[in-house]
Amino acid sequence: MNPAALDATLIRAAQGGSEEAFARLVDRHQQALRGFLRRACGNWALADDLAQEALLTAWSRIDRLDEDANVRAWFCGIGYNKCLTELRSGRRARRREADYQSSDQRSPGVAPEDRLALEQAMAALPLEQRAVVALCLAAEFSHADAADALGLPLGTVKSHVTRGRARLMEALGARDDGR
Amino acid sequence: MTDDDARLAAFFAASEPPARDLAFSAEVMEAIARARFQWETARLGLFSLVGGLVLWAVWPSLAPALAQIGGGLAPAGAALVATAAVLLLADGRAMPILGLRS
Repeated sequence: MNPAALDATLIRAAQGGSEEAFARLVDRHQQALRGFLRRACGNWALADDLAQEALLTAWSRIDRLDEDANVRAWFCGIGYNKCLTELRSGRRARRREADYQSSDQRSPGVAPEDRLALEQAMAALPLEQRAVVALCLAAEFSHADAADALGLPLGTVKSHVTRGRARLMEALGARDDGR
Repeated sequence: MTDDDARLAAFFAASEPPARDLAFSAEVMEAIARARFQWETARLGLFSLVGGLVLWAVWPSLAPALAQIGGGLAPAGAALVATAAVLLLADGRAMPILGLRS
């Protein structure tokens, strides 16, 4: 069974009240959702909290989802809204700061200077642009799927990808120039 | 892929969660079970409250009627309870519960 057909089957079962089917959807898409939120909010612990809240909301709204919908994009869309609300409210800010400070431990395959430059560049992007970058450049979403997930016009997504990528490349380039 | 693209890809890859995370999935399902339990509890509480209020409102007119028919139904009620008890015991399911048979 192909992934889309499997998702459709699981959606149908979850809409019928099967928690087991929803658990399988969670299992299949948690990586995409958590990865997206980690990059969009820059904080892993907060991202996991938001992912859990997003999945709880998704469960309560599962009956509104079309069978042939893109579950991954739907989860990310809900997660994005949670992230927007959270970052605007500034709750849990202290813990977020603590997590940034401990982030050095967690990028073993990346040069520390690259990580620092790219983290700073990502943090400097507007949230909407960062979310688009997180979906299209990091998670290989199509522009259309990202537009669908974030509720943005396709043209805006394309322009965010171009500008966001340029900013990140600029950060790497600036670091190289400074060597 | 240029060197910068590779470095960017490595940066993104470093923040990728594991493809399977049973602990995370279990936490989510626990949160869902908790939310469902809270919802069910709130729903039952609301029903009980509404039922109590309705009973309280109609009690003045209901009480005399119940008192009137209660006397007549008491023997029939007792007979029904006795019959149910006999059926349960005869069926055998109640015996182990009562400690009469293992």
